[in-house]
Amino acid sequence: MNSITIKTFSSFIIFLLLQVFIFNQVNLFGYINPMIYVLFLINYRFDRNHTFFLFLGFFIGFFIDLMSQTGGAHTIASLTVSFLRPLLIRNAFGVISELPKSFKNDPRKLNRILFLFLFILTHHLTYFIVIYFSWDAFLLIISGALITSFFSIILVLPISFMSKTSK
Amino acid sequence: MQRIINALVQYRNPIIYILLMVFSILFLSSRSSFHKNKLEHLGFYISSSLYDFSSSINQYFNLKEINEILLKENTRLKSLNLKVNAPFLYNKYLVSHKRFPFLVKDANVIKNSHLNQRNYIIIDKGSENGVKTEMGVITTNGVLGIVKSVSRKYASVISILHKDLKINVRLKNSAAFGSLVWKGKNPREFAIEDVVSSSKLNLGDTIVTGGMSSYFPYGIPLGKISKLENDNNTGYYTLTAELFENPSQIYLGYVIENKFKDEIEFLNKDLK
Repeated sequence: MNSITIKTFSSFIIFLLLQVFIFNQVNLFGYINPMIYVLFLINYRFDRNHTFFLFLGFFIGFFIDLMSQTGGAHTIASLTVSFLRPLLIRNAFGVISELPKSFKNDPRKLNRILFLFLFILTHHLTYFIVIYFSWDAFLLIISGALITSFFSIILVLPISFMSKTSK
Repeated sequence: MQRIINALVQYRNPIIYILLMVFSILFLSSRSSFHKNKLEHLGFYISSSLYDFSSSINQYFNLKEINEILLKENTRLKSLNLKVNAPFLYNKYLVSHKRFPFLVKDANVIKNSHLNQRNYIIIDKGSENGVKTEMGVITTNGVLGIVKSVSRKYASVISILHKDLKINVRLKNSAAFGSLVWKGKNPREFAIEDVVSSSKLNLGDTIVTGGMSSYFPYGIPLGKISKLENDNNTGYYTLTAELFENPSQIYLGYVIENKFKDEIEFLNKDLK
């Protein structure tokens, strides 16, 4: 086991615990729970094995679902977003830079923020679609996804940049 | 085999994604009855629309069969319908014997014309199907003609569009008799002869078959009076009738057989 694998697994567990025990209890305005664990999926190195990443995305959602008594919405949302990650990267960074060394060390700030936005929005939209799962709740889905995305981004952005500067 | 494995390796990510997605949907439905319910509804919707689609295709291919079944049913209903009209004429007869002498068979018209003064029709039922000469042929809303000659599988019919064919008719409301003859031009325009001017008639009165011949039972609707002239000199009306159906555009007919025709003919011959 090299250091990167250990790092990945430790951050996996840390984000899992953070999400379940802290951020799922926030209940801002009664129903908003920012989803911090998305950062784990964002910070995963760009050039690593995508298949392995799919399993990681699946399991982090799965464990969060198991521990916080939600149905399967986290699983589906994080699985989908980890499957779509190469596509989102391509959209945010352009086709040329498909495999930058690491997301953290990438210098283009605007692209990073765009990527963050896309990633979190996709994740939250999938999550709320699964939660409501009905055409009648269309507005609820959109508004829930947007508002929660807003708070998630507020939390995720500084952490993401801090971890970069600390390096 | 190598190719399949290569393809599997190449597309491993979408395949894994789909597998994990199926697993998470199962997980979702096992944990939340709301989602289970919703998914069942979705599945039901999809399967029902698929069944709908396949059944509409099946129906299309069964159309011929269904047509035949409907035709049979129609034939049966036609004979019942004619029977219902019968008490008007054969009142006592029906009460005492409960019998109606007419049988109905369906037939397709395979040749029809209206261009000559004396037209003939060919139908696709012949002696094999029990068609004999001098049987009446009717349609949904009128009379088509009288069978002239019969081969094994086909029969030729003297069309109602034949200048020499006279059909015994009666008015539905006034019980006045007459005979219907084609005028020779418009296939829907007919003359009614021999209606006595003492009977009361109105424009638009319905004409039905009279039941005074052995060919047709009473009460088959034919048409309505479109022109009416009372000629006091002759003592007869000059009437023009318009048929409900254009006899030159008929594709389906019913052959009617009178079971007691021989008896009637025998009596007729005696009279002559």
